[in-house]
Amino acid sequence: MTLQVISVAEIRGLLAQLMEQGRVVAPHKRPGDRQWAFEDLTDPADAVLQYTTTIIPAKKYAFPPKETLLRYELGQAPSVTAVVDSEPLVLFGVHTCDLYGLTALDTAFADHFADANYLEKRAKMRIIGIECVPDEWCFCASMGTATIDSGYELFLTPLPDEEHYIVEVGSDAGDEMLKGIASREATAGEVSYLKTHLNRKITQERHLDSDYTALPLLFTGFAESPVWEKWAEKCYGCGTCNLTCPTCFCWDVLDEMGLALTTGERRREWDGCMLEGFARVATGENFRENRTERLRHRFFRKYAYLFTRYGKPYCCGCGRCVRQCLVKIDPVGVINELIAAHGKGGALIG
Amino acid sequence: MADQLSTTVHGEAQHPPQRDLYLPRRADILEIVEETPQERLLRLKMADGVPLGHKPGQFVQVCCFGIGEAPISMASAADASGTFDLCVRRVGNVTGALHKTVVGDTVGIRGPYGNGFPLETLADRDLLIIGGGIGLVPLRGLIQAILAQRELYRKVTILYGFKRPEEMLFRDELAAWGAREDVDLRLTIDRAHPDWSGHVGVITTLFPDLALDAAMTKAIVVGPPIMYQFVITECRLKGIADENILLSLERHMKCGVGKCGHCQINGKYCCLDGPVFSFSELKYLWEAI
Ligand SMILES: Cc1cc2nc3c(=O)[nH]c(=O)nc-3n(C[C@H](O)[C@H](O)[C@H](O)COP(=O)(O)OP(=O)(O)OC[C@H]3O[C@@H](n4cnc5c(N)ncnc54)[C@H](O)[C@@H]3O)c2cc1C
Ligand code: SF4
Ligand code: SF4
Ligand code: SF4
Ligand code: FES
Repeated sequence: MTLQVISVAEIRGLLAQLMEQGRVVAPHKRPGDRQWAFEDLTDPADAVLQYTTTIIPAKKYAFPPKETLLRYELGQAPSVTAVVDSEPLVLFGVHTCDLYGLTALDTAFADHFADANYLEKRAKMRIIGIECVPDEWCFCASMGTATIDSGYELFLTPLPDEEHYIVEVGSDAGDEMLKGIASREATAGEVSYLKTHLNRKITQERHLDSDYTALPLLFTGFAESPVWEKWAEKCYGCGTCNLTCPTCFCWDVLDEMGLALTTGERRREWDGCMLEGFARVATGENFRENRTERLRHRFFRKYAYLFTRYGKPYCCGCGRCVRQCLVKIDPVGVINELIAAHGKGGALIG
Repeated sequence: MADQLSTTVHGEAQHPPQRDLYLPRRADILEIVEETPQERLLRLKMADGVPLGHKPGQFVQVCCFGIGEAPISMASAADASGTFDLCVRRVGNVTGALHKTVVGDTVGIRGPYGNGFPLETLADRDLLIIGGGIGLVPLRGLIQAILAQRELYRKVTILYGFKRPEEMLFRDELAAWGAREDVDLRLTIDRAHPDWSGHVGVITTLFPDLALDAAMTKAIVVGPPIMYQFVITECRLKGIADENILLSLERHMKCGVGKCGHCQINGKYCCLDGPVFSFSELKYLWEAI
C-alpha cells in the first residue's frame, strides 16, 4: 500500500473510534521532567504523540507486574483452575525499540513450553507505533532497532510541521483501522523526508563501538574482565534496571491465601537478576553472590546467552535501565569500555 | 499479530500456547517412609491414574496449595504400578509442608521436567555412580532402572558418602544392592562415628582402591556443589574423559519450563537443558561448578 498522510486531528479521531470498540492505552505525561507512562486512555486528547520513553515499557500489558496463574479452593474436594486472562487491547504510541522488545519477549514465551498467559494477551493486542524523540541515552541504532518493519498495525512518523503524520500500514487490521479516517497519499517530498528522518535516527550519537551482531562473540572475551567490578562497585543491586527493561522477563511465584484459608491463588511477579536472592537455593548457596557477578550476568544474558539461544539480542537500546539507574550504569559505557580493554577479538580469536 | 506469533525460532516450529502450563495435576500420597530425621519418602500416584511417564534424573514441581512449589527429583524409576517416589529434605516452606502431610493427602504435581540421565548412552558401559548426601535421591531412580535391565550394562559400581550414620538413606535398598554379585557398592562417612564400622573419609577417599577401565566408564555424579570439583578431579585423574562424566545440578527454580530465568547457568537453563549435564558441556561455564 502507498504511504498515507493523516493529521493529528484525525489521529485523535482514530483513537476516539478505537475507544468506542474497546480498551486503548497510550503514553500519558506524568508529573516531573521527561516522564511518561502507558495508561488507559479516557480522552483522545491525553495521548502524548511525541515523547522519548515511558518509565515502564509496554511489556506490562502482555506480561503484567503481577499476574494470577491459578486459583484454588481447598477442603474436602480441592479444586484448582488455571487462570489465563486476556482481552482485546489497542496499544498506541509504541516506539521502534519497544516494538522490538515485544518481539523478543514473543520468542522467549513461545519457545519450547509456550506460555499461554503471555501469548494470549499478545495475540489480542493491536499496536499503533509512532516515531520518537531520542534523548541522550537512546542507542537503538546500535542494536538494529531504530527502524522495524513488522509487529505493528500502523506506524506513524511526524512530518516537519508536526501537524501531519505519515502512516505505514503493517497488517490487515491496520488497513481496517484506517477505514473511515480521512487520509491522503504521501507526496514524493514527504516520502523522501521519511528516509532522511530515519537516517538521522540511525546516525545517533550514542553508539556501541561494535556491530551488535558481533556481541555474543565479543562477550566470550569479557568473562574475567575487571571492568565488571569497576561498574558494579557503585551498583545498589536495586533491580530497577530489570523492572524497566522491555526485554527482561524473569519472574517469581507467590501463593496467597484468602483470610479464611480455604481459597487462594498463585501469582507470578516480576523479578530481577540484580537482586541478591535471585540465584540462592534453600541450602544457602548463592550462585551469584556478589554484585559484580550479577551485573555481569545481566549483560551476558542480554548480549550473549539469549542472543545465542534465540538468535536475537535481548536489548533494544531504549536506554531505560540507565535513565532510571541512580548511579547511571550504562550499557553503552560498559560495553565500550569492555571493548576498549579487551579488543574486538573475543576469547576464541583474540 | 497472530501470524507473527506463529513464526519460527531457529527454524523450529513454535509450540502451541499451553493453557495448563502452570496447572498442577493432583497426586495422592499412598505411603510415607521416614528415611532420616530430615528426609522422608513419599510414595505417590496421580489421582487421574495417568502415570507421569518420567525418566530417572528428571524432576517434578511439587506443590502444596497455599504454600508454593519446589522442584524435587524423581526418586524411583517408572514401573507398571504407576506409583512414583519423592524423597524430600525438610529445609523450608514447601518441604516443611510436605513433611506434615499424612497418607491420603493430596499434593500438586507438574512435570516431569528436565532431560534426565541419558540411559541409552550408558548401555554397554562400566558405570561409576557417585552420590553425596541427598544426591542419592535421583540416583536411586537411575539405579532401579539399571538393575531392572542389568544385562544391558557392564560393571556397576556405586559410591555413596554421607556425613553421619543416621543420615543414610534407603537402608534396605542399599543392603539389597550391596548383597548383589553384580553390583559393587562402597559406602563412606565423613568422620569416624561410634555406630559406624565401615570406611571413613570424604567420598574421594574411595577412589584409590577403584580399579576401572577408564575408556569404558561413564561416571554419574550427584551431590552438593562442594563435592563436584573434588570428584571431577578424581575422575579425570583416573582417565575418564570429560564427556563421560555426567553431573546433575541444582539451582533455584520457579517455573521448570525455561521461562522464569532463575535456574540459569551461564547460557544454559538447568530446568530445560539439564539438570543432567556432561562435564564437557560445563567446563567452560564459570557458573556451573
Ligand atoms: C532439579 C532439582 C531437584 C531437586 N531434588 C530434590 C529432592 O529430590 N529432594 C529434596 O529434598 N530437595 C530437592 N531439591 C531442592 C529443593 O527444590 C529445595 O530444597 C526446595 O525448593 C526448597 O523449597 P522450600 O520452599 O522448602 O524452602 P524455603 O527455604 O522456604 O524456600 C527457599 C526459596 O528458594 C526457592 N527455591 C527454588 N528452587 C530451589 C532450589 N533448587 N533449592 C532451594 N531453594 C529453592 C524456594 O522456592 C523458595 O523461594 C531439588 C532441586 C532441584 C533444582
Ligand atoms: S545497575 Fe542501577 S538500576 Fe540496576 S541494580 Fe544497579 S543501581 Fe539498580
Ligand atoms: S538493557 Fe537497558 S537499553 Fe537494553 S532493552 Fe533493557 S532497559 Fe533498554
Ligand atoms: S531507543 Fe530509539 S526508538 Fe527508542 S525512544 Fe530512543 S531513539 Fe526512539
Ligand atoms: S526454572 Fe524457570 S527458567 Fe528454569
